[in-house]
Amino acid sequence: MSLLKLFFIFVKIGAILLGGGYVILPIIQDEFTEKRKLLTNDEVIEFYTLSQSLPGIVAANMTMFIGYRLMGKFGALIAMIGIIFVPFLTIVCLASILGSFINNRYIQGLLWGIGCAVIALILLTIREMMQHSDKNLFFYIIFLLSLTALYVFNLSPISTIIIFSVLGVLYKYLFERTTE
Amino acid sequence: MIYLLLIYEFFKIGMFSFGGGYATIPFLYHLSLIYYWYTPNELTHMIAIASITPGPVGINVATYAGLKTAGIMGSIVATLSEMLPSFFLVIFLSKMLNKYKDSFFIKSWITTLKPIGCALLTAVIINLIKAEKNDYIGLLLVLFLIILSVKSKKETIFYMIIAGIIGILKAFFVW
Repeated sequence: MSLLKLFFIFVKIGAILLGGGYVILPIIQDEFTEKRKLLTNDEVIEFYTLSQSLPGIVAANMTMFIGYRLMGKFGALIAMIGIIFVPFLTIVCLASILGSFINNRYIQGLLWGIGCAVIALILLTIREMMQHSDKNLFFYIIFLLSLTALYVFNLSPISTIIIFSVLGVLYKYLFERTTE
Repeated sequence: MIYLLLIYEFFKIGMFSFGGGYATIPFLYHLSLIYYWYTPNELTHMIAIASITPGPVGINVATYAGLKTAGIMGSIVATLSEMLPSFFLVIFLSKMLNKYKDSFFIKSWITTLKPIGCALLTAVIINLIKAEKNDYIGLLLVLFLIILSVKSKKETIFYMIIAGIIGILKAFFVW
């Protein structure tokens, strides 16, 4: 394994990562455990779980973990540049071409349709996030309070996260720690 | 300095977004309201493009937003700034987090973050739907896609393609 090799593996993964970051797990398993036997399946699953519990883009976290595990800090850096290589070029090229086509009615129709799909996918993301949480009173109270703060009082996302994290942890500390 | 502002804003997004690519949208929406780098309507186009091109949606949309704001340099700066927190977290925190992830504070913090994450996305959805509230065909298409995906679990790109084709057909027949 050399840095150059690692770079090209992640360039390839970036290029075939279609339909969002969620598909990265099977691709990583295929590339690093099945084909190259560099990581065990348990390691990959652990990286994936950790990636989801850390802030940031899941696919980016996953890339860093694997780069770091295989080749240290430089590995993480090289893997990061590798995975954004093709997506970056695609966006830059597409955006410059799209500028002159944006008023074409078929392009508008295409973007309208995909825009609708994005709304549907965000709704499904919310549904999935709700399914993976314990929906007790605590959940609904924090949910409604932060929604009110965001929507009615126009609080920024970051202030909302900070304020309600502190309140939530404080509540848990005061009322639930003693009952354990 | 536009680049410093981009670094600051996108580093924050990388630091505070939880739960997959679409989790960055609330932040990007907020940016469109305070800096006017792009309009909310342009943002929906950006998300649409970011969803059908290869790569993680959260990264792609950062690239696009940076490009829109300050050209190629802007897109490089925005993309890397958004990924940088992951880099530091993985290197400095991964061992620590692994050790402490069952501690009371980390566990209650993560249980608190889930409802906040849902609220962030819900607020964006309300704004997006409000902006399209007169577009009945669009709302119908959203409903159709949700039913379709609940009934048959396919990869996301499948729904993107279907929605794109319906969009082109709509341009052909309705307009």
